[in-house]
Amino acid sequence: MEDETTFDPDLIHAIFKLVWTRRALERQKNEGADALDFQVGAGTSKKNRPTYANANALKLSCELLRVFITEAVQRAATIAEAEGVSKIEATHLERILPQLLLDF
Amino acid sequence: MTSTITHQIIDEDEDDDGFDWEAAVREIDVACQTAKPSTSHADQFISHFTTPVSNASSSKTKQKAGVSRQSTLDKFVAKAGPPRPQSQNRGTELRDQDGVEGDERVSCIDIDAEAAKTWIYPVNVPLRDYQFAITKKALFSNTLVALPTGLGKTLIAAVVMYNYFRWFPDGKIVFAAPSRPLVMQQIEACHNIVGIPQEWTIDMTGQINPTKRACFWKTKRVFFVTPQVLEKDIQSGTCLVNYLVLLVIDEAHRALGNYSYCVAVRELMAVPVQLRILALTATPGSKQQTIQLIIDNLYMSTLEYRNESDDDVSPYVHNRKIELIQVAMGLDAVEINNKLSEVLRPIVARLCAIGVLQNRDYQTLSPCELLNLRDKFRQSPPPDLPHIKYNEVEGYFGVLITLYHIRKLLSSHGIRPSYDMLEEKLRQGYFARFMSKNEDIWKTKLLMQQSLAHGAPSPKLSKMLEVLLDHFKTKDPRNSRVIIFSNFRGSVRDIMEALANIKDLVRATQFIGQSSGKALKGQSQKVQQDVLEKFRAGGYNVIVATSIGEEGLDIMEVDLVICFDANVSPLRMIQRMGRTGRKHDGRVVVLACEGSELKGYMRKQANSKAVRKHMRNGGMNSFNFHPSPRMIPHIYKPEVQFIELSIEQFIPRGKKVKDDHAIQASVLEDKLTVAETSLIAKYFHPTDANTWRPSLIAFPHFQTFPSRVHKIMHAHRTGMLIDMMQCLQGLTFSQDCKTTVVEDEVFLGKSLVVNTAELHDNETKGLPAFDNSPKIRSQREVLDSEVSPRKIIRTKEKRIVPDFCRENPPVHSYIFGSDYVSVDTFGKVLILSVPLLPLKEGSHSKCTIASSTKSLNSLKQDSRYLRTWSEGNKELVMQTMAVVEITSPTRCIKDETLPTSGLCDSDVQHEKTLDEFENSPETPPLKGNLSNERASAGETPDVVEIKAPLPLDDECTDESRDIELSPRLTNLIKCGVVPESPVNDRGLPNGKKKNEFLVPDLVPPAQSPTELIVKSSSPGKNEQGIMEISNYRRNGSVSPINNAIQTPVLKLNNNASITGRISTSPVVEEAQTPFANLTNNSCSKDWHLSSGDKSESVEQRRKFKRLRKIGDCGSRKMKSIKENLLIPISNLARSFSSRSPIQNKHARGKKNPVKHARAFIEEEAEVSSDADVSDDEEDEQDNGSYDSFIDDRINPTAASSPSESCRIDMMAIYRRSLLSQSPMVRQYKCAATSSPNSVASMTKTCETASSSGKTLSSLQTPQTEFANQSAGRNSESFQMRRLSSQVVPCTTSVSPRGSHEMESRKRKLRFCRSESVPTINLEPQFLLQSETAAARDSFQHGDTNSDAKEDAFYDDQFYEGLDLDAVEAQATLLLKQKSEMSMREQEIIPQLHPQNCSLLSSPSFDLGI
Repeated sequence: MEDETTFDPDLIHAIFKLVWTRRALERQKNEGADALDFQVGAGTSKKNRPTYANANALKLSCELLRVFITEAVQRAATIAEAEGVSKIEATHLERILPQLLLDF
Repeated sequence: MTSTITHQIIDEDEDDDGFDWEAAVREIDVACQTAKPSTSHADQFISHFTTPVSNASSSKTKQKAGVSRQSTLDKFVAKAGPPRPQSQNRGTELRDQDGVEGDERVSCIDIDAEAAKTWIYPVNVPLRDYQFAITKKALFSNTLVALPTGLGKTLIAAVVMYNYFRWFPDGKIVFAAPSRPLVMQQIEACHNIVGIPQEWTIDMTGQINPTKRACFWKTKRVFFVTPQVLEKDIQSGTCLVNYLVLLVIDEAHRALGNYSYCVAVRELMAVPVQLRILALTATPGSKQQTIQLIIDNLYMSTLEYRNESDDDVSPYVHNRKIELIQVAMGLDAVEINNKLSEVLRPIVARLCAIGVLQNRDYQTLSPCELLNLRDKFRQSPPPDLPHIKYNEVEGYFGVLITLYHIRKLLSSHGIRPSYDMLEEKLRQGYFARFMSKNEDIWKTKLLMQQSLAHGAPSPKLSKMLEVLLDHFKTKDPRNSRVIIFSNFRGSVRDIMEALANIKDLVRATQFIGQSSGKALKGQSQKVQQDVLEKFRAGGYNVIVATSIGEEGLDIMEVDLVICFDANVSPLRMIQRMGRTGRKHDGRVVVLACEGSELKGYMRKQANSKAVRKHMRNGGMNSFNFHPSPRMIPHIYKPEVQFIELSIEQFIPRGKKVKDDHAIQASVLEDKLTVAETSLIAKYFHPTDANTWRPSLIAFPHFQTFPSRVHKIMHAHRTGMLIDMMQCLQGLTFSQDCKTTVVEDEVFLGKSLVVNTAELHDNETKGLPAFDNSPKIRSQREVLDSEVSPRKIIRTKEKRIVPDFCRENPPVHSYIFGSDYVSVDTFGKVLILSVPLLPLKEGSHSKCTIASSTKSLNSLKQDSRYLRTWSEGNKELVMQTMAVVEITSPTRCIKDETLPTSGLCDSDVQHEKTLDEFENSPETPPLKGNLSNERASAGETPDVVEIKAPLPLDDECTDESRDIELSPRLTNLIKCGVVPESPVNDRGLPNGKKKNEFLVPDLVPPAQSPTELIVKSSSPGKNEQGIMEISNYRRNGSVSPINNAIQTPVLKLNNNASITGRISTSPVVEEAQTPFANLTNNSCSKDWHLSSGDKSESVEQRRKFKRLRKIGDCGSRKMKSIKENLLIPISNLARSFSSRSPIQNKHARGKKNPVKHARAFIEEEAEVSSDADVSDDEEDEQDNGSYDSFIDDRINPTAASSPSESCRIDMMAIYRRSLLSQSPMVRQYKCAATSSPNSVASMTKTCETASSSGKTLSSLQTPQTEFANQSAGRNSESFQMRRLSSQVVPCTTSVSPRGSHEMESRKRKLRFCRSESVPTINLEPQFLLQSETAAARDSFQHGDTNSDAKEDAFYDDQFYEGLDLDAVEAQATLLLKQKSEMSMREQEIIPQLHPQNCSLLSSPSFDLGI
């Protein structure tokens, strides 16, 4: 397993970051909307800072994502094979998705 | 001078703005004192503006448009260029520079040549000449626009921006406004004027962090910024300076000293950057010098000044009434003032003695003057004064300034602010130390305290309240808006307190700056914006503002401005007044305290008038201007174009999530190469519409069992989900039933049971009922089309009802009443169903036998089940179909019940029973075929008649009657059929021929195949079409079946997974349906044969027929199911619909075993359940037919072991094997099981244990083979057994040869089926059939003619085989003894009856509930 190539941590990190910053911005916005209600504006707090992850957590995330995706593909593949189709379609994925999501 | 100084004093309490003012004042002073012509500056200018100069000179010959600017330029060169010779040289030198810079400009900023041919002036708002003129000028030179407030400076700016936006596709435009609210206001105003696309605009204030701003600078093109942001970003380099083409500076009068405007512009000029600068202000300055400073700082080359009194402006100026209200100081205040004077006098005197202060009246001194004097003293102290004294003098100055300030506060704002100030000053600092010993100051303080204790009514405040009340008396407090300006936050508080007393009229709020002092907390910018928003919306109608509210706030509805203090600079006074009179007439009330304040106000007004003179005629004579680039090369001669712009709704940026996304995307895009972006564009569609979102609920059926896993095992939660889904899907059916059927709720569970029971008894009535359904429907249609002889045409209900009425009207009515409610709930469907119920019960009433009644009940419940089913589908067509089906079963039941009743009535003789059976089978098939016509033509009586004769016991008579019936029927059919089959001509002849062929037999099959072919050729027909076809051709049932087969096949091919289930079910039906057809045909053939051979044989054949019929029924039921499935295919609901039947089956299967003690029934139930399971499996897997076969095989084998114990079990096993073998099992079930049942019952007595052993062995052996084959073998073996057993005794004309033939045929048939089934394709079937047909041709006697077409062969042969068996059996029976016959038949009867009873018992139970 160790030797297996997994996702590039940088890529995953970039994706995470994208989501985090987006979320942080949303939070900021929401808070901004709330702050207006107070006549006395509270200073912008620092909790709006986007989340960040350390290297090991990132590695783990990569591995988890890899496992998740391979499992999803494999399961969808079995369904597709059962149907005699050589191409995994969205519907195949939909069939295994609920249980897959619960399994993870 | 004085005015600026005033500011300085106020500074302390003012907002951050004030500090700029102070700086500006200093700057002015410095500038004024250090002689204007700063050569360095001039040099700078020259160096910066060389290019335009050269440009202008070079293009002078070509271009006239730039004349005005050039003239200014020339002037500038003449005036401001001190080293004249240098500038002369420049001319040539700068050519090179020009080239370079020109290149730079071209490279940086592309000009849209097409757009540059015109400049657009919007006519969305009425055109004003002065705006147009100013705009025109501002496009081509740096312009300082000095326009009174409310005259549309923003429009000018917006138009210029828009045109630069057009001209320079890559250029960036900056609009700077001094405060955040202003920025927000201007971005919206600009948008509403020219509608620059919002995706290009962005407002940036200090709230957006620098990194984000950097992104914006890259992605956006039009920026609305605060000057501080602009300055910082220019300095940090994030602002892409080289792309700037236009800088608009709002409230340009602030561009003094080191204010950000100046810094930013200086930075830009240092780069250097070619850009247009447009400065806007209502109050360029109160002095000529300050205006010149602004012009210098912003590198203006023209001044566009308009006054309210100007000709082109005056029409647009609203009448603005300025009232000056003089307020006398209160007595207390006067007293305190005097005391303060006492304090002041000695200090002033001392300073005068020193010589720092001119000898003048200390009363007239003002803080500003003192400040100036102090500065003067610091710069040039009197020479005779010793250095030690300096500090003392400074101290005096400080104290004096403070005291005068307090005094000023006292006069202009009242006692409280001055008291607060005094108290604060006395607490600490030099003033406290100096004054603590002063008695007078303490006295003043005491006095203040006393007056404050009395409430300290300020005359100004009371006057202000008076004015306010007056105002709101005349104007609606909801629509009118008032701004009260005060210079001082303390007085703002006082005013707020005063306003609190008239809360009912005034909803007041304060509007102050950000800085938080000791006494009052500032308002954050968010709060400020909130206040403005609410003020606009009407949440507040009074704003008490400090100087922050003076500039730029564009609030249309303000119709009263109250200046609480008068002694402010004329600039600010103009700005204050500018807040009103924008949309309609406004009123300004200036409250001035008598005395110094009033004097100051008057003086400043006079001052400002003097300044105006300077600005006349563009200030040509008074100011020095700077050259500016034209920006648009002279080859372009933009012509004005008046365009009505379509402007989209302005969306405030507050909620924009979009912007953030844009940022992110842009960031990504910046980092990606072109190839990468194209890749992304290829695989990720930018539009959200194309993004696929996986559905978690798309395949609920798949969640009822664990999916196959790869490496990750299923979690506990998945198990829970699966359980839940199973649970839910089990429940869904019943729920549907409940919701849909109000009355049937009670019956549902039981009906299910009943249904199951009926399913078990495929042979029994339930199935035939199903068979008839399409026919009945067709009948209905026939009725519709035809005018039936009985005139029942009006409505379907009525037609059906009358039919039943004939039979027994009273019962019908009673039933009708009871069921009527259900009709209401169901609507149309119910209406149809209602007649059904009466039918059933009518028949039930007729039938004296309990069993028959029970069967009826069960049927009824069946019908209900069907109804519910149809409701689940909820498609009208489906419903109608179901209803039809329901009706048909009822009739079948009738038919059956009638015979049964006949049985009961008549003697228990075997023969009779046989006859009855014969009749019943006959009638069903005939009715199946002709029942429609019967209904239409009043066949029921015929049937009744037939029945009546039937009991007559003689077989021959029966036959003859049958024959007789057949012609009648044929006639009827002809009548009915002809109208029916307008759709298909062939169907008609077929039907006719079939009817006819009842006599001749052979002809029709040939035709039917033709039909099949025809239909097969037209696979494109829709399901409905198929439905119709099936309905139309009862006789030609084969054809519909074929159609059905075709369609499913197609669907199978087309639909991979989703349709899998549905398609499979159709397959099953298809297979069955052919069988049904076959059975029909065979029946007819049998009939022929029997007629030809023997009456007895005929009878038995009829039995078989009936059994087959049952099979047909089953198949048709399947058909109906199939139809149900097919129709909703497109809908998601289809899955549910398709599932519901299956589930129903399951439920049935499960419930049956519980209720029915008999192993037989149980097994049947199991079989059914197995079949269901197989169906499911098929559904799941397209290829699954094989798998399912295998699975089924296993099941039967498992079941086989227990079955060994009893023959009945054996039978059950047979059935199971037959049923379970194929997904198509149904046919087998119907056909094979039916045959075994009947035959077995017949032959049981004869059979020996060996046969059972054979069967067992046969069952076990097939395991390796296909289930179908095994089934075939089983049946074969079974038949063999039978045959053998029969053959021995048989001496009839039906020779063993026939039996052999039969066997062979059967085998072939079975094989064919087995093969065809796995392949699922029709083609193989046909091929096999054709082969078999060829083989059979030799065998068959008279039927060979019909063999020409495969299907016919198939049917004929198969049924012939069965028939032969039956014939043989019958022959044997006849030969043996009638006693045996009776025995067999008794067995048969019991079989049927018990089943009925069992089935019915549960229904009756249900009914009871």
